[in-house]
Amino acid sequence: MTKKRVKIFLLVLFTVYFGAVFLRVDFFPLSWVPMYGQRQVGEHVHIVIGDKAARAKTGFIAERADGERLNITRHDLNVPSTHFRRFFHQRAYDRGPPQHRREREQLMPFNKWWYETLIGPDPLLTHNYALELLESVNKTLGYGPNDPKRIVRLEARVKVATYSKEELAAGDIADPHAKTAIAIITPTQAKIVSEDGTEIKDLDNASFAE
Amino acid sequence: MPASPNKSGSRPQSFIDRFFFDWFPAEALGAVRFYFGIGLFIYMNIQYAHLFTIDPNGAQFHFTLPIWYFDLLGVDHITQWTIYAVHAVLLASCVLFTLGKWTKPAIIALIISMAYMKGMRDSIAGDVHHREIPIVFCLIVFFFSKCDRMFSLDAKRKGWGPIEDWEASWPLRAMQVYIVMFYFWALVAKLRLSGLDWFEGGGRIQEVLLSRAVRDGFTSDGHVAGLSLAYQLAHHPSLVFLLGSLVFVFELLSPLALFTRDKRLIVFFLIGATIFHLSNYFLMNVQFFFYPFVFVVFFNMAVFHRWIKERLPSTGQAALN
Repeated sequence: MTKKRVKIFLLVLFTVYFGAVFLRVDFFPLSWVPMYGQRQVGEHVHIVIGDKAARAKTGFIAERADGERLNITRHDLNVPSTHFRRFFHQRAYDRGPPQHRREREQLMPFNKWWYETLIGPDPLLTHNYALELLESVNKTLGYGPNDPKRIVRLEARVKVATYSKEELAAGDIADPHAKTAIAIITPTQAKIVSEDGTEIKDLDNASFAE
Repeated sequence: MPASPNKSGSRPQSFIDRFFFDWFPAEALGAVRFYFGIGLFIYMNIQYAHLFTIDPNGAQFHFTLPIWYFDLLGVDHITQWTIYAVHAVLLASCVLFTLGKWTKPAIIALIISMAYMKGMRDSIAGDVHHREIPIVFCLIVFFFSKCDRMFSLDAKRKGWGPIEDWEASWPLRAMQVYIVMFYFWALVAKLRLSGLDWFEGGGRIQEVLLSRAVRDGFTSDGHVAGLSLAYQLAHHPSLVFLLGSLVFVFELLSPLALFTRDKRLIVFFLIGATIFHLSNYFLMNVQFFFYPFVFVVFFNMAVFHRWIKERLPSTGQAALN
């Protein structure tokens, strides 16, 4: 290549790569580098307190269409433990991946226009992550929609700590005020309940940190 | 900025010419390719190690959220043997790229196999990681450069002559631009998404520290099972704010590294970046810890190569020739 052609090549390359930054494209291999960039300040922050041993040993408490109860661990799904943790802590609670959570946030009008025109609606509104997890579990285990062995109920249990803005600002986090949050996924709905069966809705807010 | 004469004094050079074409000698590009390839070999093994915990004889997991190109191609589940086969291709391509044997085809194979392994890893739960993005950019630039013309088996076999300095300089400078701007864009992204709230109090960092520390729970004696240092640090929002401020300054000023030829300043910047990545790993388990291998593009690695060779016994010297 001559120097002139190199300049044209670099112009095209940087226009594409840095244009992706301007347009907030985050589809590999282009990115506007938004990792960990999202923070919504609310009155409270909810943080999942996991249990590695229970997650590995018990996993999801599941029920088949024929009423049989079983446990589904990462070995049954044959996925790495980090991915199973995401299922257990996030997808079961209908929390999507970070890309989806930030994709349409604070978009300027032009970027909002091209996203809605070329990509479609906000993924947070079109996905039900918990139901997609149940569907994936059944496909992985080889169960069709009418199979009596198919999984019709998945249950995950984690503790969720709630910290106030003031507690975080003071570093007063030794007592996590943790409550059990149970994710229950059936083919028709996914919900989060407390141990006494009361539905929990406030975990849906954006300050549910993972 | 006024144009200045080049080394021979024959024609004035523009700022762009000086920036891209007048930075490295010809020998640098091939040597950088060699050391970049060694680092990439290790980095790729780190990135996809999790996939090898999948049982080759176990269930074929059906993705919850396939990456966009898997979605387009209809790849919706893990086929275990392909992980082993593609990883073997990836590593073989990496070796060929490093040695400069069939370099350009090796780069294409590297990009495709990396995209496949990444797709397998990221499609399981749908979290798309960013750890391959600067790598792919560098590989694209290597592909369009004359990185195979020196310091390579192909050059020896085919008797290629040396390249000109400017031909070695622009690819390395282009890679530097993207690597440095990756930090700057990360700051811009924080401000676009969250504004200065990102840094307020302990900010986002405190939330991530806390969530990463407790995601594996507590031990029976009340200590966190995971990242205990992160948990301790989360108790000190002022210290976290200070660290966040350092990140702000580092990311804001990072483009300046492109405009200095002072080796000490460049090394200072790169040590700062390396500490940033290592801290992110030890405190938050962010898997960028071996990423600093890409910083070889900031140096004339041929000088380093000679330095290594002088210190090796004669058999080792022959291997590096």
